[in-house]
Amino acid sequence: MKIDYKIQDKFDFGLFLPVLSLIIIGLLAIYSSTVNHPTAIGNFERQLSWTFISILVFFIVYFLPQQTFRYAAIFSYALSIFFLIVVLIMGKTVYGAKSWLAFGPFGFQPSEFAKIGVILFMAYWFTKSERNINNPLEIGYALTIGFLPVLLILLEPDMGTAIVYIILTLAMIFWSGISIFGMFVVVSPGVAAFASLFGLHVFIIALVFVVILLFIFKRNLYTNATVFVLNLAAGYFFDYAFNMLKPHQQSRITSFIDPSSDPLGAGYNALQAKVAIGSGGFWGKGFMEGNQTQLRFIPEQWTDFIYCVIGEEFGFLGSIIVVILFGIVLVKILNYASISKSKSNSLILIGILAVLFSHFAINIGMNVGITPVIGLPLPFLSYGGSSLLMNMVLIGITMNIYKNRKLHT
Amino acid sequence: MSFNTFGTQVRRRIIFFILISFIGSVVISLFQMQILENQSFEKKSNENSVKKEIIDAPRGIFYDRYFKVAISNKPTFTFRITPATYNKSRTSMIESVINSGSGFVDQVLKENKHQSIYSPLRVKKDVDFNFVSWYEENSENLPGVSYAVELQRDYSFGINASHMLGYVKEISMEQLDRNREKYSQGDFVGYTGLEKQYENYLCGEKGYRLYLIDSKQKPIGRYNEGKDDKIPQKGNDIVLTIDKQIQKIAEDAFMGKRGALVAIEPSTGEILAFVSSPSFNLADFDAVTSSKVLQEYIEDESKPLYNRATMSINSPGSTFKVMNLIAALETGIVTPETTIRCTGGIQYGDRFFGCMHTHGTISAVEAIEKSCNSYFYNIILKMDLDTWADYARQFGFGSKPGIDIPEQASGLVPDSDYYNRVVGKGKWAKGWTISLGIGQGELGVSVAQLAKYAALVANNGKTKVPHLVKGYIRSEDREFSAFDFDDVKVNVSEKTFDIVKLGMYKVVNGNGSATNIRNAKIAIAGKTGTSQNPHGDNHAVFVGFAPFEKPEIAIAVLVENVGFGSTHAAPIARDVIVAYLNNKRVNAEKQFIANAGKGN
Repeated sequence: MKIDYKIQDKFDFGLFLPVLSLIIIGLLAIYSSTVNHPTAIGNFERQLSWTFISILVFFIVYFLPQQTFRYAAIFSYALSIFFLIVVLIMGKTVYGAKSWLAFGPFGFQPSEFAKIGVILFMAYWFTKSERNINNPLEIGYALTIGFLPVLLILLEPDMGTAIVYIILTLAMIFWSGISIFGMFVVVSPGVAAFASLFGLHVFIIALVFVVILLFIFKRNLYTNATVFVLNLAAGYFFDYAFNMLKPHQQSRITSFIDPSSDPLGAGYNALQAKVAIGSGGFWGKGFMEGNQTQLRFIPEQWTDFIYCVIGEEFGFLGSIIVVILFGIVLVKILNYASISKSKSNSLILIGILAVLFSHFAINIGMNVGITPVIGLPLPFLSYGGSSLLMNMVLIGITMNIYKNRKLHT
Repeated sequence: MSFNTFGTQVRRRIIFFILISFIGSVVISLFQMQILENQSFEKKSNENSVKKEIIDAPRGIFYDRYFKVAISNKPTFTFRITPATYNKSRTSMIESVINSGSGFVDQVLKENKHQSIYSPLRVKKDVDFNFVSWYEENSENLPGVSYAVELQRDYSFGINASHMLGYVKEISMEQLDRNREKYSQGDFVGYTGLEKQYENYLCGEKGYRLYLIDSKQKPIGRYNEGKDDKIPQKGNDIVLTIDKQIQKIAEDAFMGKRGALVAIEPSTGEILAFVSSPSFNLADFDAVTSSKVLQEYIEDESKPLYNRATMSINSPGSTFKVMNLIAALETGIVTPETTIRCTGGIQYGDRFFGCMHTHGTISAVEAIEKSCNSYFYNIILKMDLDTWADYARQFGFGSKPGIDIPEQASGLVPDSDYYNRVVGKGKWAKGWTISLGIGQGELGVSVAQLAKYAALVANNGKTKVPHLVKGYIRSEDREFSAFDFDDVKVNVSEKTFDIVKLGMYKVVNGNGSATNIRNAKIAIAGKTGTSQNPHGDNHAVFVGFAPFEKPEIAIAVLVENVGFGSTHAAPIARDVIVAYLNNKRVNAEKQFIANAGKGN
């Protein structure tokens, strides 16, 4: 039986138009911050061509047959891991991370494109056969799938992107139906490891909390002991690994925890970003009128600090519009995920949501000064071809799934 | 289906809650920053911005082997324009003051239009003091114009040494892209020679000053009272192996001549003098607009930019006979006692290869002394070509001499592979290689290679890779650290060296071709040669060393297009040798007196 849908039914302008608006706002901000800049001249034109390429690719992904995402799962994951290893061997170092793979004049960041591989393969894995995600072994498998790329990306080292993959993995495990206790087992060693960075006191406090929670969960002694040992081991291993790092890598991590430890590096940028945004006021200083932007107090503003160009030149109004547009996009994807009849598609959508949200939260959080300074691009707005193309592929997959939501797989 | 039920709805709400609470906190902080605290941020934006002013590090300087200054730095005035505030109607007035001709300023501005319009742009380096005094009187009418005191290379210390030292020039875009962390636009970097080779030692580390500035970029004070400023670290000074006085004598000897000279201390590989003539003026490159000057140098028919000492490849002529005799003695083709009859040349196939004289009965030592071609035709015909080539390569021919400057050529030592490739397999025979016996034919060597070869012979087969730099003086503590250089050894017996060196001694002190440079005080040994030049007059070549008993200097000289070696190349070698040895004595005496003074 053939059902004739209306165009609205197949193509959700409610998602597509906010995305397009974000891209246009991004282009304006890139133009403003680069047109008078000696080394970034031509970035606007390059981003404009990437926009056209990305929209074209979006439509290609949108029209792909639905099964593609299932068939491509294993292959795309394997390819992702392959490139993540290759980049460690022969990659080019950009901003201190060996993350860029060049082929003649072209190049890309494997860690951008590996997101698709991880999302598709995890969705495939969770739905391959009847799986019980609360079985410790299954959790182990899922964590391995998600954390293998994390490990490779940490070796680059690209802290920000690694965090995105961690959030992505945890979100998909969470959505696949894990119990609260299961989630606790997964998350607590990570928290313990993170706590160990702040010194022995904080680490011990974290372990005390773990013990208290274990009492509340009332599991058997064997399970409790295992979880406790896992936490202890995570903390020790992390401390050990930290001491193995080179001094400049260590300082990246310490300045992540405490930006004021490096006042003229990361801290300087964060301060200048706040000044730029705060001085924008309600209406903003106007397009190309922001003195912080035009006088270039923040280096490479068109990448990770694009949001403060908007904050300064378009003010509170412009900043809020960007946040609301992101809100619409993210909530839409969440809703698609909960109405999707296919578990696999639903998981894919949560993976996409996790990627977009973590980028959005870490980037904007850094710009307004509520999260530490971690270099990550703002989806759809920051300058960069790999990132824009990747995000449009994710939106393409989202709308493809939406188009086919009534098909039963 | 357990998936799409209650559980999912709860999870959906949890995620929704996370999204909304994050967005909420962003909205709250935006409201706080942009609405509530807007006034204070606006004030900060207008007044309290920190700007970094980079302070260049002085470039390290060069000393000669006795720690006398060879190149230094001098302060000069640089005229600058900040395009954002510059008033174009002042251009013609400025051009008349700096004496540049009209259109100059506009052209510089046009060439640099991709640079920031807010930072000062170098327009002309080394401007006259007149400009500075004129500017000081009229500065309020000259918005966007400024001058800076910058350090520039000072080449006024007596020696030219342009090919060896190399020039510094404004960094190119490609170089800058490769090294953005260390350099910025407008920096001067070493382009050739030692300036390039030792760039990382010389360049130093930049410092910076932090200023508080207002929205018009006007400094209103120091940031944090200057506590976070960084003082620039001057580059390390380089100590050359060159003897400045000898270098000067060698350069003067080449005045008006084309050619090259390299002198080496045989036991250490230290280069004492290094000349390529004609040379160029290094100061011409240390300016902003040098493209015209560069063009003139490139078009000059005498090729002054070309490093003749390491890049120019010629046949070694008879100076190579020493090499051939070593190979023949070592392989047993001849013994010191073997004699060969010279009848004025030899007939090989349908060709006659001539000798300068009819020498009659000739032994090994006499073959060198009298430079008898027949003797060497005979031995090259008996020798296996590839064995001969191996000996030549051991002495450094056919490969870069390893001197610490980037510009070096390998030259050519032809072997059977070479002839098979170029002439064709089976198409060449012994006749092709006869001229190699007298250092002609396809054989190609540089003066630097000849000097290394002279050093190896002088010191019985042991030296170090020839080099121009002894070490550096660290700028932090003025502590001298010497560089290490690899040993060079050839596998040849002392006895063989004794024979060829005796021959070389007799070239000067017996009945040889260089008796014109005989010196009563210093026993010089050497070998002259004539390098056949298919493009014009032959080149004169000389290799030698002194004193004969205990060599302290080995030398190779080539003078282009003048013909015979002993009349043109050898006297230059003698002058340098005599001057060096005298100077060394004088310096040693001074050192002795100084030490004796300390002892009291």
